[in-house]
Amino acid sequence: MKNDNFFGQRISRRSLLGAGLAGIGLNGGRILGVPLAFGQVAQAMAADEASKDRILVVVELSGGNDGLNTLVPYGNDAYYKHRPTLGIRPDKLLKIDDQFGWNSGMVGFEKLYKDGKLAVIHGCGYDQPSFSHFTSMAYLHTAAPNSGEEYGWIGRLGDVLKPTTTPNYIVNIDATQSLAVKSRVHVPVVFDEPERFTRKGSFQEKPQLDSVTQVADDPNPSRAFLREAAKSAVDASALVREAWARYRTPVDYGISSLSLPKVASLIDAGLPTRLYYTAFRNNAFDTHVQQPDLHARLLTYASDAIMGFMRDLERIGKADNVSILVFSEFGRRVPENANLGTDHGTANYMFMVGKHVKGGHYGKPVDLTKLDSGDNLIHTTDFRRAYATLTKGWMGYSDTAKLLKSEFEPFPIFA
Amino acid sequence: MWKILVMVCALGGSSFAYAAENNWANDLAPIGAQDWNAERAAHLLERAGFGGTPEDVQRLAAMSPDAVLKKLVDFQGADNNHLLPFDESGVHDPGLEAFPESRPATTTLAKQQGAALGVKVKPKGNRKMQPVVNKFFYWLRASRLETDRIAYWWANRMLTTERPLEEKMALFWHGHFANNEEKVRDYRKMQRQLALFQAKGTGNFRELLIGAAQDPAMLAFLDAGVNVKGAPNENFAREIMELFTMGVGNYSEKDIREAARAFTGWNYEGVEFKQITEKHDDGVKTVLGRSGAFDGVQTIDIILQQPVTAEFVAGKIYRYLVRQDLSDATKKQLAAVLRDNNYELAPLLKTIFLSKDFYSTPSMATRIKSPVELAVSTYKKLGLNEVPGVPDFNDATEALGQRLFRPPTVAGWAQGKSWITPGLLLERGNFARDMLFPNINFLPPDRYPDDETIRIVSAKIDQGVDITTATKPEGKGMGGGGEAMMSMSNAMVDRDEDFNTRYASFRGWQMATEKVKPISRRTAQIDLAGLVKTQKLATTTQVVDYLLARFLRIAADSADRTRLIEFLNGELGTDKVSEAETYLEEPLRLLLHLIMSLPEYQLG
Repeated sequence: MKNDNFFGQRISRRSLLGAGLAGIGLNGGRILGVPLAFGQVAQAMAADEASKDRILVVVELSGGNDGLNTLVPYGNDAYYKHRPTLGIRPDKLLKIDDQFGWNSGMVGFEKLYKDGKLAVIHGCGYDQPSFSHFTSMAYLHTAAPNSGEEYGWIGRLGDVLKPTTTPNYIVNIDATQSLAVKSRVHVPVVFDEPERFTRKGSFQEKPQLDSVTQVADDPNPSRAFLREAAKSAVDASALVREAWARYRTPVDYGISSLSLPKVASLIDAGLPTRLYYTAFRNNAFDTHVQQPDLHARLLTYASDAIMGFMRDLERIGKADNVSILVFSEFGRRVPENANLGTDHGTANYMFMVGKHVKGGHYGKPVDLTKLDSGDNLIHTTDFRRAYATLTKGWMGYSDTAKLLKSEFEPFPIFA
Repeated sequence: MWKILVMVCALGGSSFAYAAENNWANDLAPIGAQDWNAERAAHLLERAGFGGTPEDVQRLAAMSPDAVLKKLVDFQGADNNHLLPFDESGVHDPGLEAFPESRPATTTLAKQQGAALGVKVKPKGNRKMQPVVNKFFYWLRASRLETDRIAYWWANRMLTTERPLEEKMALFWHGHFANNEEKVRDYRKMQRQLALFQAKGTGNFRELLIGAAQDPAMLAFLDAGVNVKGAPNENFAREIMELFTMGVGNYSEKDIREAARAFTGWNYEGVEFKQITEKHDDGVKTVLGRSGAFDGVQTIDIILQQPVTAEFVAGKIYRYLVRQDLSDATKKQLAAVLRDNNYELAPLLKTIFLSKDFYSTPSMATRIKSPVELAVSTYKKLGLNEVPGVPDFNDATEALGQRLFRPPTVAGWAQGKSWITPGLLLERGNFARDMLFPNINFLPPDRYPDDETIRIVSAKIDQGVDITTATKPEGKGMGGGGEAMMSMSNAMVDRDEDFNTRYASFRGWQMATEKVKPISRRTAQIDLAGLVKTQKLATTTQVVDYLLARFLRIAADSADRTRLIEFLNGELGTDKVSEAETYLEEPLRLLLHLIMSLPEYQLG
């Protein structure tokens, strides 16, 4: 079997079929409630078509990254007052202007910022912030703070971009599926190690193991779900393994790559995936004690990996197709604690990285002199504005109010 | 007889019976004796336990529903004398009591007092604190390995108990009051907590809740010790309300702060709960609209008086045992059963298991088994009387997303569809494969360190290399964030000449494997050829039908069934069992692997 042809044929057939159905499903009344005029349908389809090569990669920094020690507001005395020990001296920072400087480990982010490919969104948060990792992360995952929502925002984004079940549309590289990618329509491809993403079995079992019986209108919803997952596994596992096995790169992603080389290998192989989700796992950024060296190291890993990913995308000629969102479930308490660490906090930066990202500051910086009663930052930007920015500006879906359940003004990051 | 019954049930999918079951959804009225049959008995055995062999099912089917419920829920009379108590390795010693919270805390203590963990600092010479740090890592490793042995012991109980519901509910409460040994770092506390879940898991919820809230593992896990008068810590009170009793949105932040004051002074000593009076805030608190100088237990009683508490608990039990979608009306009815019985759990369980709703179409064969249930029920349906040592039970279930005593967060394991991803579905089939065809390269994880660094250090020390050189990082295998973090913190402490952390980590492993008793690595004792013979199955079609009925709770698709028969024909070279009698076992195992790889096998 020739892999190049194999991949190519798969994709073109699917995208042709998918694009047509998507346009009709999307605009045939489901979203707006009334059928659209033909011109509008065509317009929506054109928008979908125009952005169809665009890919969003979400990188989650789990555990609550200390934003204030990531991009340090060194021009602000209040920062040093709250952090007499943990505050990083200005001469140790990688300064980007007269107010802010990156943590010294983040050479990669410094370069991306200077090249105008990194946007900083200030003060992202939500009302009545939760200090539970679990709850706050769920809010970020669903874009539904302080309410219940079954599906993740990436999953819902996949549903509106492509309202027909499409194999390999969403990929989540992790040990377990993130709530963020939970989709009504699609079955996200979730795996950890490409080598393990395979069925063990003797040669003669293979035809059996690779066939999934599909039953229309299965009265048992659980079985229908399992069959979809089995189908997705069959569709994806060989593609993923082959893509990973063939992938070679001279690019150094650093010590902890955040699975981004795996993402690069799949993009390189031409999978029809438009939404990738990966994480710096295991609550790594939960730096309650002995924070300084540990935090600097974590940031170096993240920054190296994302910089390496950008370089690798240039190398494979896909830099024009990819934008990255970097976020954490919350920031940390402004005053340092008694154990050389910081406790759970509220508002935080979000970062967007990509060749088409217009770099710079967005949103209003947080006020370090006006904290809430718990010594926490008061957010200045609803984090869903960042989601709206990516949805509309990058992925080309304009009804963000439908997706995010309320109107959020995008930032002109992709304008 | 059994076979015929199953075929009838399987074929009855579109008949009148199906329509009747459809109407049963959300009907909590009990089924009648005339509604009782083998299919429903098998369903009950899956949900109230870990499934069973056709013979187990037949025994229940021959009884009346009431008698079955009495046997399953009021199990106190059931004879479990064959179950042995946990065989402790004896890894703990008094020096380990009040185990410091971290390695730095241990060495600080050793510096201040000249000893820690029952080990003295050397008066002079190189690496004066090395023995102390060795002991620190010894305990981390020993406690973890011993916890893995408790998990094995528990899995064996699930497999062989005469009181399956006792273990099934213990597993539920383990996910509800979810504590992780990695943080608790004391197998004795985990063992004690499990004993609580087994003893009270079908008893009175108030007693269970108080027991769990005063449980040393819980208190350690939620840092209750730092919750003291004048500096209340909200974490403990928050989890009690959010995760254990009421659910988010049914209390205010103020309720949490006030409740936290009521819990001040709760702590533990060793493996015993301890209330420290001078650290308790005995002032007046206002919790959920009531004011008084409440203590922790009084606060729990106030929480239990909230209508939402019974709804939350009954609803969660229902979703665990029956199905994910629960109507508001049914939830309220179940909550009423719980409340009217003063939070006794047995009446609620009986109501659920006897209800028409429990046997309605949306409830039957729609529940996705958790990894632990999948493994145990697989062994149970095979008729094994021992959990195999290969594959390792803990590693296998962890690869599927559930490791006993290591729930991912305090919220426990998400149930239902969350158990399945495409990758995890493949792993489920691979689990069956590893059991039916044990990997000859298997290395026991309780002897062989999964951490490459430790193996490298061990080899170099054996070769006479000095400790500094032997423990120098090589940058290998630094794949994930966790490992990378660990090596960094190692690098930080290696600068201290008083001890070497990597060497201690290696020595800790070595000392722990000396003490911790090994897990038996006997493979699954499976005899499918014998089973086919006993059942007098003559043709490949009969074999496939028998195995499908024995292992699936839902009829396989006819196309799948046909393919399986053709597969077996091909492997045997005949469709007559008698002709293939002398070489049946391997083809049958391949066939069973295919059956266990079907999506249907995940449903119970």
